[in-house]
Amino acid sequence: MSEKLKPAKLLVIASKAGRVTKRYPYDEPLLSPDFRGKITIDENLCIGCGACVNACPPNALQLMKDKDTVVLRYFVGRCIFCWRCVDVCPVGAIKGLREFELATNDISDLYVHVVHKKAKCEKCEGEGATQRMLYYVVQKSPIVEEYLNECPDCRRKSFIDSVVKRRTGGVSE
Amino acid sequence: MSESSLILKKYMDLANVFNASVTVDGDTIHILAKPEYLPKIADKLFNEFKCVHRTCVATDERPLNGFFSLTHLFTDDSHGFYISLKTYLDGENPKAPSIISVVPAADWCEMEARDLVGVEFEGRESYRLVLPPGWPADAHPLRKDFQYDKRPNILPVGEKVSTNEEASTIPVGPYHPALHEPEYFELYVEGERIVDVKYRGFHVHRGIEKLGESRMTYQQVNFLAERICGICGFEHSTCYALAVEKAAKLDVPERAQYIRSIILEIERLHSHLLWLGVAFHLVGYDAGFMHMWRIREKIMYLSEYLTGSRKTYGINLVGGVRKDINEEKKSKVLETLSTLEKEFKEIVEVAVSVPQVKRRLTGTGVLPKEDAVKLAVEGPVARASGIDRDARRDLPYAAYKHVSFKVPVYTEGDNLARALVRIDEVFESISMIRQLLDQIPKGPIRLEEFEIPPGRIGVQVVEAPRGGDVHFVITGEGKPYRWRVRAPTYNNIPALRVMLRDQPMADAPLTIASIDPCFSCTDRVVVIGKDGVIKKLSLTGGVML
Repeated sequence: MSEKLKPAKLLVIASKAGRVTKRYPYDEPLLSPDFRGKITIDENLCIGCGACVNACPPNALQLMKDKDTVVLRYFVGRCIFCWRCVDVCPVGAIKGLREFELATNDISDLYVHVVHKKAKCEKCEGEGATQRMLYYVVQKSPIVEEYLNECPDCRRKSFIDSVVKRRTGGVSE
Repeated sequence: MSESSLILKKYMDLANVFNASVTVDGDTIHILAKPEYLPKIADKLFNEFKCVHRTCVATDERPLNGFFSLTHLFTDDSHGFYISLKTYLDGENPKAPSIISVVPAADWCEMEARDLVGVEFEGRESYRLVLPPGWPADAHPLRKDFQYDKRPNILPVGEKVSTNEEASTIPVGPYHPALHEPEYFELYVEGERIVDVKYRGFHVHRGIEKLGESRMTYQQVNFLAERICGICGFEHSTCYALAVEKAAKLDVPERAQYIRSIILEIERLHSHLLWLGVAFHLVGYDAGFMHMWRIREKIMYLSEYLTGSRKTYGINLVGGVRKDINEEKKSKVLETLSTLEKEFKEIVEVAVSVPQVKRRLTGTGVLPKEDAVKLAVEGPVARASGIDRDARRDLPYAAYKHVSFKVPVYTEGDNLARALVRIDEVFESISMIRQLLDQIPKGPIRLEEFEIPPGRIGVQVVEAPRGGDVHFVITGEGKPYRWRVRAPTYNNIPALRVMLRDQPMADAPLTIASIDPCFSCTDRVVVIGKDGVIKKLSLTGGVML
């Protein structure tokens, strides 16, 4: 008899468990303290180095370059919320949020753009890294000042020139 | 002579007979043989030494040495060895002898190698398995000269839906009625009895291997690997990371291995609870389904608490993990586990004793042991058919050598046995997480600096909730040169033909669900006109299981 009545024990379990569904928009959502949501980029800290772009698995972060500017673009639609960018950012400009309600009817809400000025080369008008990154590098390890305002190509050239000068004693043929 | 050197000698002798060279690298035995000896060596390994055929890998090695290569991966589970049986094929016209006459389990992976790399197999019937029927016959996407973003001109072709004229056809698909996953089965029925089954899959083949080989770095592939499966994603990323670590001979911190094992077991818990819920729903016992998923929610919260996300945890990297488990989290896990164990026990006892549930599960979808061995099925499907095999015990990885656990084995091979295996495994997993948390050592959780030399090979099997995942990695410059993934369902689907035959039609959805399938794909429709006539969409033949 008891074996046959066993299925009815579910009634006891159900009344003990009660109602478990969250009345979500009215109640607090069921979120753990460590939940990974979307990220935010601090425009004042970002140096445009592209470390986050290299680490991002789904290409949600992209560097777009044109003549004078470098734009770091974050597209929430591609983001997988892994927070690798938070791990690798050298200046702590990227922070993770617990935000997860990302639906919108305006697609521009899904993009974040951080615009950087490119450092101009003194000699050839060519391009180098962003200005902020140059300052960052100088702060971290002071380098020879005279090359600072040059693009990588010109820097290489002037280095070779200085070696040649030293060899020939400053006298060219 | 020790036991393992005796085993090694056995394999060396085998290789010597067929003039093949042998190298032993850690737990992997690499046998390099001439193509013509492949079936004979495979026959010995599979039928005499009782090795398990896991999968085969075709690689385009022309940029390296001008040849194609074909590698059959076996595991010797009773002694804990991986065996890779490799052969080089002609770079112009790759041809290899088929081994399916001696190893029936190799059927699908050979056809996949033919589709994706263009290796022709001699001595068997060939059909198209993975590529869409509209692709030209000479397009082989895993060749290195094929760009990853290239799309060939697609020829509009159809596929003949039904091939069986005598019996009525019942399509199950394009979505499974309960699993909400794309698949397409064609059941041929006479009255209420199924006489034969056809399966057509791979319609949404995502090209993940090509993507990982072409444009991602070693660390990025972890996150891609996690997205192979929505349920056992962490197993895939762990398997990939372990394979690369094995290839590069990295010494990963113990604490990272413990954390990996804990998260792997948490994933097994959630997967088994999900499956039990689905099974109850399929037999019409929705109350059991609701309560099973109610207690599953606790596990989902726990995994979010430990890793930061409910699924796709994203904490695996080559060389370690990204998130630590501190004392506060530890006590929370133990607390949740004890309530879970109590509640699960209560509900399962009630649900399995419901007479209707019991009757529907008992004696349906039987998979006899000899078929299970022949088709090399994986996981709970194998263990329910009397095969005592579990990669966690036989080929220990991560921190599994530090814990003791039982591997549940049932011999009936029916749906009830498969359910009972999973129920037992839930209790084992709970006890394993407790042991792991108790023993977890202190120290760093990941390697900071390491190098991955190119040209190394790593093979790894990780026991996912539904069976062994196999990842095979050849390292390259900054990214894997070749990355082969095999999910357990790949080997389990062919067993459905045996399980469904001569069974009542009504049990088919449950039996299909009983392998806990993860169809990565399928889309197919049967269009029925107003007059009730089925319009047949014609495509070149599907796969007879």
